[in-house]
Amino acid sequence: MKGNSGKFLRINLSSGKVATETIPEQVAQDFVGGRGFACYYLYRELTPHIDPLGEQNKMIVATGPLAGTSAQAVSRWLVYTKSPLTGALARSVAGADFGAWMRFAGYDFLIIEGKAEKPVYLLLNSNSCQTKPADELWGKDTWKTQEWLSQRHGDNVRTACIGPAGEKLVKYACIVSHRRTAGRCGTGAVMGSKNLKAIVIDAQRNIQLHDPEAFKQVVKEQIDLMQATKGYHHHSEYGTTDTSDITNGLGIFPVRNFRFGRQNGHEKLSAEEYRKFRTGDFGCYSCSSKCGKAHQVTSGTYAGAWSEGPEYETIWAFRGPTDNTNIEATIAADQLCDDLGLDTISTGNIIGFAYELYEKGILTKQDTDGLELTYGNHAAMIALVKKIALREGIGNLLAEGSKKAAATIGKGAEDYAMQAKGLEFPAYEPRGAKSLGFNYATSNIGGSHSYGYAAQEVFGRAFPRAVDRFAEVENADVVVFNQHQRAMLELGVCCSFNAMFGWVPQVYHKMLLAATGIEQLADANYVWKVAERILNMERAFIVREGFRRKDDTLPQRMLTEPLHTNGAPGEGQMVRNLEAFLDKYYEIRGWTAEGIPSPQKLNELGLGFVTKDMVD
Amino acid sequence: MSASLQIPGFLRDVTGDASVVTVNGSTVGECLGDFVDRFPDAKARLFDKNGNLLTYIDVFVNGKSAYPEELARPVASGDELSLLFLIAGG
Repeated sequence: MKGNSGKFLRINLSSGKVATETIPEQVAQDFVGGRGFACYYLYRELTPHIDPLGEQNKMIVATGPLAGTSAQAVSRWLVYTKSPLTGALARSVAGADFGAWMRFAGYDFLIIEGKAEKPVYLLLNSNSCQTKPADELWGKDTWKTQEWLSQRHGDNVRTACIGPAGEKLVKYACIVSHRRTAGRCGTGAVMGSKNLKAIVIDAQRNIQLHDPEAFKQVVKEQIDLMQATKGYHHHSEYGTTDTSDITNGLGIFPVRNFRFGRQNGHEKLSAEEYRKFRTGDFGCYSCSSKCGKAHQVTSGTYAGAWSEGPEYETIWAFRGPTDNTNIEATIAADQLCDDLGLDTISTGNIIGFAYELYEKGILTKQDTDGLELTYGNHAAMIALVKKIALREGIGNLLAEGSKKAAATIGKGAEDYAMQAKGLEFPAYEPRGAKSLGFNYATSNIGGSHSYGYAAQEVFGRAFPRAVDRFAEVENADVVVFNQHQRAMLELGVCCSFNAMFGWVPQVYHKMLLAATGIEQLADANYVWKVAERILNMERAFIVREGFRRKDDTLPQRMLTEPLHTNGAPGEGQMVRNLEAFLDKYYEIRGWTAEGIPSPQKLNELGLGFVTKDMVD
Repeated sequence: MSASLQIPGFLRDVTGDASVVTVNGSTVGECLGDFVDRFPDAKARLFDKNGNLLTYIDVFVNGKSAYPEELARPVASGDELSLLFLIAGG
């Protein structure tokens, strides 16, 4: 099986044992690669109900069959594990070069299990995997860690590592490679719990394809189609820095802990304003769009702050929740999160949660180590980022995630935790983009936009059909479609931005076919079938952990409080028909009324072996 | 020469929820000019201060992007125009 290497590396940190194992041909056909392999092996490998931060949890770090090739924007990598933040599935996806380097080393994925006695890092290439002491690295931030490893092992290595937040088991710590992060669900805390500081890959370009000539032709087709779109050129110019211009206009830019859908004064915080701080463009392996926009602050309180970003989610995370209007502070917060190893989305969301509790008097100055959490106070926001990463003072409480922190605080704080299944909401208001909201509710990882992004609602895309963004039950099919679409793209593992530039429907399956030789891929519909298989496998994972219909929900605020949009469309919107939506969604999926995949559906997808775990 | 302009969700508040508006013109620019003359609140959502189409708006004529001609793209009677935000997400 070319394209895929057909093998993975099992690394046991407790015993030090390393073994190369083969991926059975049938598994390769059924799951294709990337997210398909990750979800299949995590389900098969993990004992239910284990402690996510215990020795029994495992991490799967996977890349896809297109990584490292000349194809554009398909070298992403992902991490699957049981989430310490939610107790559900963790899926976390990142860019930069690391996915390509995994392919060069010859592995489709790594299974990392056990726990090292002392801090270590892994150094692997195509012939060996060594466990090395990381005492000198423990405590270093992610940038200094990568610098140290490059000095030690040469500039040709690529590294994925954790920062102090991962070491201290902050429940939403991330994994960082260069300045790109596998951000969501606390995968960095799992890595920290294993005393694993970094994974370093030293490899030379080495790609084998099933049909190199056909692949070359398909890549040419991809590039021609992509470059003919205005979207590609726009994305190259702005990245996602101007998404907030759109979401504010639509009234779906969440402000003050999801009470308002538009930030007052947003016109002065546009992409053109961010552009004044821009210093360069960065891209992932073999991606010419270079959507990473670096910004630097040269004067004032935050002089010296620099980040490869902030991109849209981070711009929101450090503006919307605290109603901050200081651009420099968003750049500084982004840098801090990347250096310390924090998910910017959960971090910003939780800080907004704390600000509202302070406003309501549920938290006082005595609780906040003297910080005044008043809207617009960006200095306090920056202070909280550091406190969370280092678990200092109130940061220790907030490091547990909004759901657990709210339960600890009590006094009604639960009503102000904007999360689904424990994963904090990102930068889209569920009441103004309801398919996105229902995706948060039904996602198997919790409140993630990228689990089933509703481009129909945000950008007006009429694919597979146009939608009314305030409709509910009527859009259940679109929520299913969006979740499948993302799983389909993550077989590659393909960038979700670049995938919008017109080439995917005609090219993607042909690209996978030429790379892997999996004959079923000749049928353009096959990738959609694999995507449905993945969604059902992931659902089975959380059902086995005890998740049911009651967990497919949204905070009370979404169900009972009208949205205020400061003049944008959508004033007064609420989610009114969650239960009816779930009925329809489960019906389309072939699941029971409790949200459990039915035996018929599992058999239809070739997942009959999962049925025994699906107890109603 | 008249064409139909499909109104996306982000402009429905401007058109009073109308999903299709008939516009007149022989180019995309003339058709959109006619549209904003009748619905002035849409102007800032489609054009910059210099009258250029915003960089994140793509116009489609009969399902095909008008890029790179954009506003100069000819429009025939009975054509269907639609609009899309080009931003790729977040």
